[in-house]
Amino acid sequence: MRKLAILATLVAAPVLAHHGWSEYDDSRPLKLEGTIEDSGYVHPHGFVRLKTADKSWTVVLAPPTRMQNRGLEKDMLAPGKRAAVMGYPNRNNPEELRAERITVGEKTTELR
Amino acid sequence: MEGGAGFLGWLEMTSLSQAMRFNLWLYPIVEIVHIVGFVTLVGAVAMFDLRVLGFAKVLPVQALGRHLLRWSLAGLVLVVPAGLMMFSAHPHEFLDNRVFQIKLILIAAAGLNALLFHAGVYRSVAGWNSDASAPALAQAQALASLAIWIAVISCGRLLAYT
Repeated sequence: MRKLAILATLVAAPVLAHHGWSEYDDSRPLKLEGTIEDSGYVHPHGFVRLKTADKSWTVVLAPPTRMQNRGLEKDMLAPGKRAAVMGYPNRNNPEELRAERITVGEKTTELR
Repeated sequence: MEGGAGFLGWLEMTSLSQAMRFNLWLYPIVEIVHIVGFVTLVGAVAMFDLRVLGFAKVLPVQALGRHLLRWSLAGLVLVVPAGLMMFSAHPHEFLDNRVFQIKLILIAAAGLNALLFHAGVYRSVAGWNSDASAPALAQAQALASLAIWIAVISCGRLLAYT
């Protein structure tokens, strides 16, 4: 039993340390609208560079496999298109946002 | 975003690196190989560590070690190339990532621990091969091995699926 207790502690420690790992601040949801300057339909996460009224954001999207499954095709993220995103800013990088959903034209895609 | 000077810049422009980023299915397949690799590696290591800690003393340590060491090496053959392939997709971002740096240090620590175990206390294994407790040092190293590998997996989990 003593051995099992030691093992349980070993397993529990990293799980507890795991709590609150997110680098994105979900207490500050943001909505951005702008023009896509650049985009990547790449692993492990797609992204768009979104030029808003006041600055240029790097918006982290989802893995391309998921985006394709949900009908968000590569050409919908082409530079020059208008897009709106809702997401959470990176705590350490004020120019990065992790998007929960993205709207291009009439189509809104959930990313999580 | 891509390229730049030096080895990492070169690596990022290789066709392998580009395929890892742009090919729809390669990255997920490599992730699966990485997982199968570390399940085999860490699973084998954990079973050996548990035996050294005193579980299933009826099983001879040497015979079990010969069996499990082989499979841990097979796991290594899968996990390392798959890991390097994922690294090649975004080498700068990985190297700048604190979690990735900690993960590399932990893997080195796990390897060093295993090396010291085999070069050290394991040489006296004939004396504690079966139906006996392993020396305290052996048990301490087995416990350290379990803790380090769990920490490595935790780091990997923090790097992925974000």
